[in-house]
Amino acid sequence: MQKRLPNALAAALLAGTLAMSSVGSIAAQVKAASDTPALPKVGDMAPDFTMNYFDGNDLKSVSLSQYRGKKNVVVAFFIFAFTGG
Amino acid sequence: MQALQHDQKRLEATDTQVLGVSMDSAFSNKAFADQIGVTFPLLSDWGGDVTRKYGIYVDKYKAARRVNFLIGKDGKILEEQVDKDAIDPTKIVDTCERPKLKN
Repeated sequence: MQKRLPNALAAALLAGTLAMSSVGSIAAQVKAASDTPALPKVGDMAPDFTMNYFDGNDLKSVSLSQYRGKKNVVVAFFIFAFTGG
Repeated sequence: MQALQHDQKRLEATDTQVLGVSMDSAFSNKAFADQIGVTFPLLSDWGGDVTRKYGIYVDKYKAARRVNFLIGKDGKILEEQVDKDAIDPTKIVDTCERPKLKN
C-alpha cells in the first residue's frame, strides 16, 4: 500500500496535467480563430505586403506601399496557377 | 487573370497597376503567366501570410479565395469583388475610369 499511493498520486497528477493542457490548446485554437483578420471592407486601408515574382531571370520584390501616391493597384487573388480565370 | 489582361490597356491609361497573387511558387506563376499571356506580375504568397492577412485563406483548400481589390493611390480599398463576382473585373475597370480617379 505504501508503494501504491504515490503511483495513484502520480496518475492523478498526470491526468490533471493532461486535462489542463488540452483545455489550454482548445483555448489557443479559439484565440487563433478570433485573431484571423476579416476580409477588409471598401474604405479600409489595404494591409501592406511584400511578395516576389519571377520575371524570367530573377526574383523581383514588390510591395504595395511602393505605389502609394503614384498608382492605383488592382490586387487580384487567384486560387491556383493553371486553373481557370 | 485573362480578363484583367484583356483590360490591361484601359487600366494602364488610368494609372493602375495590376498584380496577381496566389500561393503558388513564383516559378509556377511565371509559367502560368506565359501560358495564358499575362504580362503583369503574378506574385507568390508562398506560405499564405498575405492571404491570411487579407482574411481570404480557405483552410479546406489550403489556398486563397478569388478576390479582386482595387486600391487607390492613398492606400484605401475603393472596390472589391469576392468569389464568383471576381471572375469578371468590369466593375473595377469602370471604377478606375471614373473621372475623379484619373488625374
